[in-house]
Amino acid sequence: MAILQLIGLRKAFGDITAVDGLTFTIERGEVFGLLGPNGAGKTTTVNMAIGLLSPDAGDVELVSLGSPTNPAVRSKIGVAPQALSLYEELSGEENVRFFGGMFGLKGQCLRERVARSLEFVGLMDRAKDRAGTYSGGMKRRLNLAIAIVHNPPLLILDEPTVGVDPQSRNAIFENIEALRADGCTVVYTTHYMEEAQRLCDRVGIIDKGKLLALDTVSALIDAHGGRSVVRIEDSRGKRAIETDDPVAALTKAQQADGLIRFEVDRPDLERVFLNLTGKQLRD
Amino acid sequence: MMHSVFILAGKDIRLLLRDKAGFFFTFFFPLIYASFFGMIFSGIGSGKALSAIEVAVVDEDNSEGSRAFIAKLEASEELKVNLMNRAKAEDAVRRGKGGAAYVILGENFGVEADCVFFGGKPSIEVGIDPARGAEGAMLEGLLARHLYANAQESLLDKNKMSGMIDDSLDNLAESEDVNPLTKATMQAFLPALRAFIETTPTEDLNKIGGATPASIERAEIKRDRTGQPNSSFEITFPQGIAWGVLGCTAAFGLSLVIERTNGTLVRLRMTPVGVMRILAGKMLACFVTTLGMIILLLLFSMIVFKVRPDSYALLLLAAGAVCVCFSGLMLFLSTLGKTEQAAGSIAWAVLLIMAMIGGGMVPVVFMPGFMKAISIISPVRWGIVALEGAIWRNYSAGEMFTPIAVLIGVGILFFGLGMRTFRWSK
Repeated sequence: MAILQLIGLRKAFGDITAVDGLTFTIERGEVFGLLGPNGAGKTTTVNMAIGLLSPDAGDVELVSLGSPTNPAVRSKIGVAPQALSLYEELSGEENVRFFGGMFGLKGQCLRERVARSLEFVGLMDRAKDRAGTYSGGMKRRLNLAIAIVHNPPLLILDEPTVGVDPQSRNAIFENIEALRADGCTVVYTTHYMEEAQRLCDRVGIIDKGKLLALDTVSALIDAHGGRSVVRIEDSRGKRAIETDDPVAALTKAQQADGLIRFEVDRPDLERVFLNLTGKQLRD
Repeated sequence: MMHSVFILAGKDIRLLLRDKAGFFFTFFFPLIYASFFGMIFSGIGSGKALSAIEVAVVDEDNSEGSRAFIAKLEASEELKVNLMNRAKAEDAVRRGKGGAAYVILGENFGVEADCVFFGGKPSIEVGIDPARGAEGAMLEGLLARHLYANAQESLLDKNKMSGMIDDSLDNLAESEDVNPLTKATMQAFLPALRAFIETTPTEDLNKIGGATPASIERAEIKRDRTGQPNSSFEITFPQGIAWGVLGCTAAFGLSLVIERTNGTLVRLRMTPVGVMRILAGKMLACFVTTLGMIILLLLFSMIVFKVRPDSYALLLLAAGAVCVCFSGLMLFLSTLGKTEQAAGSIAWAVLLIMAMIGGGMVPVVFMPGFMKAISIISPVRWGIVALEGAIWRNYSAGEMFTPIAVLIGVGILFFGLGMRTFRWSK
């Protein structure tokens, strides 16, 4: 069942077309990865999805609620922007409480939601400290706490793990998995393919404002990842074999030439991404 | 709807209070400014009225008589005496740092001052700062008065008088360039005068004309202060408030730019709260902080410096109008720069010009005519006029209408411009 529909979205800034006829649907309860190189149109798409930008053409609709340009609809969306959008002079708790208030929470409900959000991201013990004193990872988690304080059914996370240590990244992954388990829909944009591969049920890859592919990770790998590469070192020396069945290739090598060392390079999401968007540098 | 506006305003006020520099320039700088300049202009600490003429005095005689004369000058309400040597006194006056003039009591001043009848011509050299000629002329009059008073005291002191006659007779005897007839007359007159003074009771001497040439009584006049400041603090506190208002305007204008560069403005726009309410929250924060600062300064001026406003109701109205005006201006200024540095520079440049031509630095009343005319374009001027109108100008409600209307009108105008520019830059 769909929660967000983007239909024929088009947006241009002057002569540059940032989004060009983008259409896709995000299903309720899934973690959806939106991938694309720099300048692909991800941020413009997200900004239209949350009502910050009006499309030149096309529609965005939160199913059964309407356009996110409507403030009431926007209250159903939580956003953790890539830029750490925090008040550093306020404590973590004050930050979360302030934005909770902006979403109309008040009184006991606000207090409970603030405590729950901070607890969820593991910041309860530092809740009274100013956000400016937090580490990069703690700020990222606070960014997430603010996004979920009003318990939105749709959560949009824009590069939520940029610049954090492995422990904080893992904590954020666990948070996202817990949110999915609670039925929250997550739209996740990232440059880290392994993150998308680990977390996302489906992935959409866009470039130059167009949707290049959209499917589950395994389906994308099957369709666009190419063949596995088995690198073998045996009595004949080193060689690489492209194959759809690495086990069969290894068995054959073992029987024939006495296998010394091998390595299997299976297709993954990164290879899918590069195959679809090319290896040319993007600035 | 107002709930979110109050939350926004509360957050901004909390942020300002946690910003040490912003807090200082909003609350303490205007207080220090108003108190400091108020004390300077009121002459507090000098022990003399502000109108006292400052003079550099040099005692080259260093006699009992010269010291007594200097003591008289120092006791004078009209003079503020700085003792120094000749070189320093001349240099100080030449550089405009030693007061209006220097006064040098020459050698033998004490002796000559006592030779009232013959041979005495006390030497006083006066050098007057050419830029302060009027004060110099007043100084000459004051010196003449004190010299005359000195002689008058001597005439009424029998012992001193007798000595003075002896000294004069000795000088007369030694003098060779005096007309013989005059000499003979004086030699006959002075002993006769001594005999007269010695035989006449002191109380009768006081009644003789010439000893007291004129009876000048100073009547106690209670000045009508209506429409005039009772103290310099009634001028400096509205000025200080103007600086505090400018500080608030710059701080909140900058805070909107900081929100934009930090990304919190975008995050705010992702909430169900619309742009209008975000800006309304910012303006409310500016309004409340500015009003709080004005009330704080006024209370301080009333408690510490005894400032007594003519009308508390009109003062509140004026304060409210000032807050409306500068809250609107804040919104407009916040849209003029994309970075904190640019916005801060633009805001302070605009505000300083407004302060300069509007009486924030030099009171409008002291400005030359053309500057007074120009000052009407500055909201700072109208803010000060409104506050002064309620504090000491004794404005009626009708007279307050113009400054209040201008302030509110300017506030609405800049609010509209700010909204328009903000939407464009969105």
